[in-house]
Amino acid sequence: MPAPMLSLRSLGQSFNGQTVVQDLTMDIAQGEVFGFLGHNGAGKTTTIHMLTTLARPSSGTAIVAGHDICDDPVAVRRSIGYVPENVRLYDTLTAAENLAFFARLSGVANPAARVSDVLALLDCADLADRRVAAFSKGMRQRIGLAQAILHRPEVLFLDEPTSGLDPMGIKMLRDLILRLNGEFGMTIFMNTHLISEIAKTCTSIAVLSHGKLVFHDRIEAVTARYGDDTALEELYLSLTPVGRLSEVA
Amino acid sequence: MSDVILTPSPVSTIAAKDMRDALRDRFILIVTAFLGLAATVALVTGAIALRGDVATYEAAKATLLAIGKSADTIKAPEFYPLRLLRGAIEQIEIIGAAIAILLGYRSAASERGRQTLALIFTRPMRRWQFVAGKALAGLGLLAGGLALVLGGLTLVLHLMSGIDLTVDDLLRITVVWGVAVTYTACFFPLSFILTLHMKQPSHALLIAFAVWLLLVLIAPQIGDTLDPDNQVAGGVFKQLNISKPDQVQIMKGFATYETLRDGIEQASVTKHFERFTFAVLGIKATYAGMPLGPILTEMLGNLVWIFLTALGLGALALALPINPDRLAKA
Repeated sequence: MPAPMLSLRSLGQSFNGQTVVQDLTMDIAQGEVFGFLGHNGAGKTTTIHMLTTLARPSSGTAIVAGHDICDDPVAVRRSIGYVPENVRLYDTLTAAENLAFFARLSGVANPAARVSDVLALLDCADLADRRVAAFSKGMRQRIGLAQAILHRPEVLFLDEPTSGLDPMGIKMLRDLILRLNGEFGMTIFMNTHLISEIAKTCTSIAVLSHGKLVFHDRIEAVTARYGDDTALEELYLSLTPVGRLSEVA
Repeated sequence: MSDVILTPSPVSTIAAKDMRDALRDRFILIVTAFLGLAATVALVTGAIALRGDVATYEAAKATLLAIGKSADTIKAPEFYPLRLLRGAIEQIEIIGAAIAILLGYRSAASERGRQTLALIFTRPMRRWQFVAGKALAGLGLLAGGLALVLGGLTLVLHLMSGIDLTVDDLLRITVVWGVAVTYTACFFPLSFILTLHMKQPSHALLIAFAVWLLLVLIAPQIGDTLDPDNQVAGGVFKQLNISKPDQVQIMKGFATYETLRDGIEQASVTKHFERFTFAVLGIKATYAGMPLGPILTEMLGNLVWIFLTALGLGALALALPINPDRLAKA
């Protein structure tokens, strides 16, 4: 059995004595599109911050693409791409200049050629010489995705990638995610609120509630057990009780 | 799947991006132009005052010669062209430091506001390389801006004075440029550190300007005001015709007071910059006409203070860990 692409072992995070993520243990196989669900404040972004080496865990560790996030963060960074919830980039630079900057930081050998390839891959070559200041949310999100895949990472982390996008933007992004996963075999780790997107995109899901992992299974098993999107929503709400949600709100 | 190499250096990549970014939003051009304008006005004002002195001298000389007396009884005004840079140095002290604070603030706040820190810190690089890249860009922008200002002033000085500046003059201006870059560079990491680490970047800017006010305007003024020798034109001892040994004897009675007064002055990097540049340019009468070598030797303490302040703050910026909570907050 091949080693998992991501292996979380008792991963935890506390801020000022308050536990945000607690004892997270799970494996995600290579080539999966993993949906990470949870209410606001559940600890999803904190988990992504730990896995992308932005924040050091308070307890436990994780292996990402064969590298320990605590012992070898630079090696982890070589293997990952990250798209935060709100990608803003540098307004005064063009899309190509923004991407070339991130390509150089990633150590890509020929940044200009790679930027052209990636823009073409994402069907946005026409945006190359335009300053990102004038871009719509959807255009920014695509350039945001482009900066994350310039160095062809093994794992792509997406934090609420569909947040603020219109239905057309959501569909376009979903198609891109599936293409990156299908054509390049990228493992995708995606934080999301949109349950409707889960069934269309993900191969496995997990639910986080108040920092604790309360569910983790493959999507076929989930849909076989719970049926359509509505049933999936029921499952999600049952795992993140209304009483607890009101505490968060 | 990953195909990455480890060149070029993230430090130079970040510095190049920052400089391009800063120059494109015209902020640097506008503030540099403002500093240049203020310094030029100071230079022209000084030149007009000098021309007034020369005209008065010429008129007095003509009058004496007309009534058949010798012109030797009146002293010709001394003309050291570099002295005309006094106002410009004072503008660099104040406005140059303020510009460095704005640059440091802008450098950190723009990354926080755009939420690009998370994109940078998920690249295969160390966090100190990010800080070093930012510092390099700030240093480059300050060096370029000050080179433009001092270069322009040198040209204006040459045209206004009507005399050719010597190689020694140009060397002194170059030394002053280097020290001015280092002096202003003290303020860049100050606001950069505060903006990167404080919860609210706007509060960081306010604190940085409070420190600027203290170091640039208040401390040197307190030190000057407490100096009795500054209260009488030409110096109190000179006016009272007190000899040097007697001055030393008198000052022994005020040793604690003088230590305190000097301590306040010494605490300000601005005072060290002023002492150094006034000596090199011959603005302080004691150093007028003195060769550069002995001046540098005498002013070494001031020079070391300026460099250590810049290096110390730079090292602090490199050493401080970056709070992940600041990654996504403007």
